[in-house]
This record gives sequence, C-alpha cells and structure tokens, in this order.
Amino acid sequence: MVGKGGEAAASAQHKEEHEEDGDMVGVVKLISAEGFEFVIDKKAAMVSNTLRNMLTSPGGFAETREGEVRFPEISTAILEKICQYFYWSLHYASGKETAEFPIEPEITLELMMAANYLDT
Amino acid sequence: MYIRVKRNKTTYFIQCDPTETILNIKQKLQSITDHPPNNQRLILLATNNILDDSKTLADQKVENDAVVALALRKDNEFEEVSIADPSDYMASS
Repeated sequence: MVGKGGEAAASAQHKEEHEEDGDMVGVVKLISAEGFEFVIDKKAAMVSNTLRNMLTSPGGFAETREGEVRFPEISTAILEKICQYFYWSLHYASGKETAEFPIEPEITLELMMAANYLDT
Repeated sequence: MYIRVKRNKTTYFIQCDPTETILNIKQKLQSITDHPPNNQRLILLATNNILDDSKTLADQKVENDAVVALALRKDNEFEEVSIADPSDYMASS
C-alpha cells in the first residue's frame, strides 16, 4: 500500500479497516438515552450476545461500522451498570475466583429488562 | 481490574492491573482519545488526589471499579474537572 496513491487504493484500505472492525481489538461506544457515552473494549461488549451479533455479522449494522451503538431505551445509570457487568463477567466468568456483582434493589427491574434485550 | 475514567458525558472503561503506572493508563487513554499523556490529568474522584504518572495504581489506592476524572490541557492550563450528571438531562425518547 505504501507509495500507491489513487482512489482505488484508498478505498481498498478503507474496506480493510472495516473488516478489522469484526475483530476483538479496539473499542465501541455505547450511547444512553440521555446521550451519555460509554467507551468499552470490544471484547467486553462481546459478553452481550446482542452486541456480539451486531459487531460480527457480515455487512454489519451501520452503527457498529461506525463503532457506536445507540440505546434510546436504556438510561445512563443502567447502561453504566451493564458495562460494569461486562468487565466483571470478563474477569470472573472463568470461575477461578469469585466476587458478588452488586445490584441496587431499586434498579433491578430496569436492569433485568436491559439485560434481556442485550441477551447478557 | 478496570477503572472508569470520566469527562463530561463520556466514560472510558479501562482494563488495567494494580501494578500499572498512571503513565500506562494515560497511554491507553491516548489510543482512544488521541490526547498525549502530558495533556492529561487524572484525578481519583474519591479523594480528589491528582494521580502521579510515575506511581502505580496500587500505590495511589486506585482500586477496581474506581472512578477517575480526566481533565485535558487547553492553552497551557488544565481545565476544571467536569462530569455531567444524567439527572440533568432528559431522555431523548
């Protein structure tokens, strides 16, 4: 690619970058109902089957090609809790050591609904 | 472990290890935000302490799930710490 100019080369490179988006590297941005942004590692997002499908399906969703997923139905507090859960899950899913994942009673219902949607 | 780095309406989840230095964390943040480490200031929110580049997370009592504020240098001065509160914003839906 080095030293080759022209539109064809540029668009080929662009395509490669898009294909790399399917990998486990890099970050994704999750956006809450109030417009708050959570930037998390792609491998953390993969804890959610819904996000995994979005991030890995061929062709992909427009949002995930951009590296952004909007959740107009999920409030900031719940989305943050979900991101915390992704990281907790990455660390403790191996089962070698355990720690409780704390959930405040007042958010339980909303969190369950979001978890159900995200298949997490 | 991970820490939550917050600035305005954005939260960066950074996976890290207690033995890593603050400079390591700033380098990770640079890969996401494009701001070089010397333009970043990290403040542990629980104590309001400005974190020292050369010290480790463990040295400065930064634990798993800790919230750290990010301030950026603008015109040679660091901005004030600013973290938005979701209750000040109405949901768009």
